[in-house]
Amino acid sequence: MEGLDVRMSGVVCRHGRVEAVRDVDLDIARGQRVALTGTNGSGKTTLLRAVLGLHRHVAGRILVGGRDTGSAAGWAWRRQACAWIPQKPATGRFPLLGRELLASGGARAEAVEAAGKLGVGHLADRPLHTLSGGQLQRMYLARAVGCVAAGAGVLLADEPTAALDFSGQEEAADVLLSLPVTVVVVTHDRALAERCDRVLEMAAGRLREVR
Amino acid sequence: MSALAAADVGQLLQLVPVQRAGVALLVAAVGLPVIGVVIVGLDIMPVRFAMMHVALLGIAVGLLTGLDPMLCALVACALAGAGVAPLARTPDGLSGAMGLLMSLAIAAALLVLAVSGVNAAGAFSLLWGSILSVGTADLWLLVALAVVVPALFWWRRRDIALLLYDRELALSSGVRVDRLTLVLLVLVAVSVAGAIKLTGALLVDALTLLPALAARRLGRSLLSITAWAVGIGVAVNLTGFLVALRFDWPPGPVLVLTAGVVVLAVHLVPERRISSWRAPASASLPSSH
Repeated sequence: MEGLDVRMSGVVCRHGRVEAVRDVDLDIARGQRVALTGTNGSGKTTLLRAVLGLHRHVAGRILVGGRDTGSAAGWAWRRQACAWIPQKPATGRFPLLGRELLASGGARAEAVEAAGKLGVGHLADRPLHTLSGGQLQRMYLARAVGCVAAGAGVLLADEPTAALDFSGQEEAADVLLSLPVTVVVVTHDRALAERCDRVLEMAAGRLREVR
Repeated sequence: MSALAAADVGQLLQLVPVQRAGVALLVAAVGLPVIGVVIVGLDIMPVRFAMMHVALLGIAVGLLTGLDPMLCALVACALAGAGVAPLARTPDGLSGAMGLLMSLAIAAALLVLAVSGVNAAGAFSLLWGSILSVGTADLWLLVALAVVVPALFWWRRRDIALLLYDRELALSSGVRVDRLTLVLLVLVAVSVAGAIKLTGALLVDALTLLPALAARRLGRSLLSITAWAVGIGVAVNLTGFLVALRFDWPPGPVLVLTAGVVVLAVHLVPERRISSWRAPASASLPSSH
């Protein structure tokens, strides 16, 4: 089994005075595919962002591959180890070309190949702000494939199929679940959740095991 | 009449200060529009006003302590640029910070000037340069900027493109975002303060911001925007300078107006081009909208 394990203990994330994530303990074995479900605002995205250090007010402990993040080098390793598909891909303050996004994952050739398979290869020379939501989501998925090729051991995907049509959702799920890494996917897509090894549900910041 | 006028411009171009001003504008058009691209990309348009006031504070401190006032001004701007870097963590942090910096710096400068008993207008005059009084040392500083700024952009083009697109994407792509933001802000602060001294406050906008604003509409990527900005900068500076010489007008306002006309023109023209980029996208994958 490939990939890295993820361990969380006593994780609390705050948005100002609001506790978005409350005392979460979670062990994910390497290579496991975990679906994270729950209502809007239940803390799923915040928890994923906390793993990457994108949410700043975090207490508790998060280990990936047994490693903590005490320094800039620690965070650099964490962000290389964890590929990320954001919930709402930024439309950007400044133009970025599709091929620049694909290359940013660290393995340009693999990402470009994945973009071709996902039907967005021909958009590589276009600025991202000229793409539709679904096209952009496919681009980010192709980038994540590049991240894995470059050595990432975990994929944190935040509603990666939300902007896709039915066939696109299935295609994206195939790509996500075929990657030889640990996958944590926030999703409202039941078909995708069904295909995962575990299903967790968040409600009001607390986590419980569904399956 | 026109032959006479042409001869006038020709004669003016024989004068050493005019030649030096022309060369300075040409060299400035290589480095400063690139700084403008960063200003637009980081959304810190009020930076010129903020740096004017921070530089004044630096001059006030220099006059109070007996150190070189312009050196103090540049150091103050560099420190201010570095000081606001942590505020880049939130999307609106930097643009708000520039306003705050401006208010605090002018208050501190006036206080220091009052305490030191130095005339405020005298301190301000140290900050006010003119393109026609550019000295050899100033010219070398512009040459240094023209080399260092585009070189840094080329060297770090991937990281800068990601940072200006989205800070979080840059972070997750392994870019040392805090360090890069710090370097860019210090570079912007020092360049703007230096340019105010060299060319006058009004001209700084024509040399930095306006070419970048026009280029932002024309370019499709960081590199093409940067190339457009430099191209527009060179064209505007040469045209504006020759027009100013031809009609014996002050170069600063003529250059700002020339650059302003270019910005307005490109805001009218390229919309159709941008639309035409989107059309094939919607045709190719209609179901994903």
